[in-house]
Amino acid sequence: MTTHTLSSTAFRTYWLGRYLERAGSTARLVQVNANLMMDLPMRLPLGWMPLVDILAQEDAFTDLYGDTVASPDSNEKLVARFLLSDARNPGSLLNALGFARENARTLRGTLPRAAFEHINEIHLYAREVLQEPLSRTRRNRGLKDIIAHLDQINGFLSSTMLHNASWQFFRLGNFIERADMTTRIIDLRSIDLLGHDTELAPFADIQWRSVLNSLDAMQGYTATVQNPINQEDVLEFLLQNPDLPRSLLRCLTTIRNCLRALPNNDEPLELINNMRRQLQRASVRRLEDAKLHRFVDVRQKQLFTLHQKITNHYFPQR
Amino acid sequence: MTIEWKNYPARDVWDELIAPGGRARRGAAALKKALAKLDDNELQERRYAAELAIRSMGITFTVYSGEESGAIDREWPFDIIPRLILKSEWDAISRGLIQRVNALNQFIDDIYHKQQILKDNVLPRIYIDKSRDFRPECMGVSPPHRVWSHVCGSDLVRGGDGTVYVLEDNLRVPSGVSYMLENREVMKRVFPELFTDYVIHPVDDYPTQLANTLRSLNPNANRTAQLAVLTPGIYNSAYFEHAYLANAMAAELVEGRDLVVGKDDYLYMRTIEGLVRVDVLYRRIDDTFIDPEVFNQDSVLGVPGLMRAWRAGKVALANAPGCGVADDKVIYTYVPDIIRYYLSEEPLLPNVPSYRCVEKEHRDYVLDNLDQLVVKPANESGGYGMMIGPKASKKERNQFARQIRANPRNYMAQPMLNLSTSPTLIDTHAEPRHLDLRPFILSGADNYVTTGGLTRVAMRKGSIVVNSSQGGGSKDTWVVDDQ
Repeated sequence: MTTHTLSSTAFRTYWLGRYLERAGSTARLVQVNANLMMDLPMRLPLGWMPLVDILAQEDAFTDLYGDTVASPDSNEKLVARFLLSDARNPGSLLNALGFARENARTLRGTLPRAAFEHINEIHLYAREVLQEPLSRTRRNRGLKDIIAHLDQINGFLSSTMLHNASWQFFRLGNFIERADMTTRIIDLRSIDLLGHDTELAPFADIQWRSVLNSLDAMQGYTATVQNPINQEDVLEFLLQNPDLPRSLLRCLTTIRNCLRALPNNDEPLELINNMRRQLQRASVRRLEDAKLHRFVDVRQKQLFTLHQKITNHYFPQR
Repeated sequence: MTIEWKNYPARDVWDELIAPGGRARRGAAALKKALAKLDDNELQERRYAAELAIRSMGITFTVYSGEESGAIDREWPFDIIPRLILKSEWDAISRGLIQRVNALNQFIDDIYHKQQILKDNVLPRIYIDKSRDFRPECMGVSPPHRVWSHVCGSDLVRGGDGTVYVLEDNLRVPSGVSYMLENREVMKRVFPELFTDYVIHPVDDYPTQLANTLRSLNPNANRTAQLAVLTPGIYNSAYFEHAYLANAMAAELVEGRDLVVGKDDYLYMRTIEGLVRVDVLYRRIDDTFIDPEVFNQDSVLGVPGLMRAWRAGKVALANAPGCGVADDKVIYTYVPDIIRYYLSEEPLLPNVPSYRCVEKEHRDYVLDNLDQLVVKPANESGGYGMMIGPKASKKERNQFARQIRANPRNYMAQPMLNLSTSPTLIDTHAEPRHLDLRPFILSGADNYVTTGGLTRVAMRKGSIVVNSSQGGGSKDTWVVDDQ
């Protein structure tokens, strides 16, 4: 008997992939920003709000906390709470893990038995360790553990799950979310940095360094690109390197491979092939300011269209 | 310290392992000896090993709690001392169960066709007219093999003199079989050495047998049957079992929203490749929820048009809708007559003696002796809604008396049974705890009875309520060769 993949199962696996990835990238963002803040002089206005902007959550944040132009210290606390543990923010790390857990619960027939336990454990751990009031030390330790635990879950699923259609949907979720986050991070730093403020110039490479760090790309950059950190090389590396796990091109390639392995794939496959081709052909080194922002914006819109196409195509509603 | 068998009180009731005087019953000597060899620490370790196995295997059942989290999964309490049944006794019981289920299936089929048994006055018509689970929508339908209840879970109890009685027949959507299978797995991890002392008959072919039974119902004979298990979803207390069985049978686990009945009256599931036809649906939701077009209109668990597809013979439903008409504690009292009527045989397994409140003589007796009887409503399950006379307050008894007078059709009563016990590990010593046994009987082209079944044990001292929702636990059930 051939086995079938229910649309509802595919839908939940896809979202499991997205939520797990989202939790991980949120944790990475907060970690890296904390490091960046330590390296920058106090009077620079960068602060923590850019993280809220990255996730396009300014309105939600303002609704909850008002127009906070508080001290940098309380600003950090508020933004961290908003991104990590605030139950009222549907995009918080804790909520992402909670949604991942609910999806995993309903997928116990599809996932390996222990998968739910692992995901349940990390959710319980995160709830415990991110409790307010949250000191920097505890936050740092907790996020480090969460990132490591999430990587383990990905590895566990990869080595125990059948690599069938459900697996492809899990990876689709992972990599669409990942591609989205990569473009958001680049977008944000582009706006911040490219104001031609001479005061900021000495710190430009620190910020690109933080971008590389938040995408786990520092080591890869040093090994691949021989030049010191500079915007042109970083952009090319993050957007077009074929091997870096979080580069946009690598994400699009993985998405394409997942779609190739699925039945009934004409439409979404056509879209992803176009997206990939366009990205490969683009000259990204020279993109600056508004042009860079526009370039990234187009990729994000394409990713959203792809998400919609997959949703309508494979998970039609009753 | 070890288990001191000489302190084990096996006097007042029938004990499954220990005879009066403290000797092991036939077949139980090796088990008794092996347990006595373990000191307190070893006993604790084995129990801990069992708990660990249960947790890591993810064996849970859902308990509803008022908290925001909604339902939670709880591990199923498990006792590490197995319950033993001799093979010769089990074979006799199996024959009795098959006889019983075959007669009940003929009865259901008769009720939805000619109703000959009513015309012949063997069963008064009032019981069908006032039956909660009789479904007029099923009249005239002839399911494959004329079998309606494909999976039946009958509850067996042993009385003080050692006689095994049928306490009730669960013909609708009985659950618990996955725990029977998992309990065996746990025991293999916890007491591997015992499996060399005994010839223990395996239980693990149940999913294969269930799949065969379901395939034998395939109404679309020209193609290989596509099987699916319909679950109400993760918040159902038996969801673990639904997922377990679907996995073990390589059937799809579906919810109502995954299914759609086409204009051609076939049943389909929504997959990433489009609609895929389902031939046999093992539904684990109650009749009244399966089709909002016919029954409960608010049901979001079911599939609009499912009854239409079933009536048209384009999909098989297991169990068939309407089979609950025979799962009624008052109809139960007629099962011995039903067996005689359809099979012209004497029942091999006795019923617990019962009183029908509809009959004046019986009713008067029941009302006069409420403090000694167990009163049960016709259609409850899970141990709900019944009154245990000797333990009830005067107020409760009066209330039941009023209910019985108001609706006698809905009640039956039985003498308080002295349920048998079996040694159960409490801290580090063995104490007798009451138990029952739920075997599962499959019916399709053929019959099959599980090897033993699910033994449920009342973990509270003196309690006879074995339901998991009310503090019950379970034991592995060993059908062993007579030595």
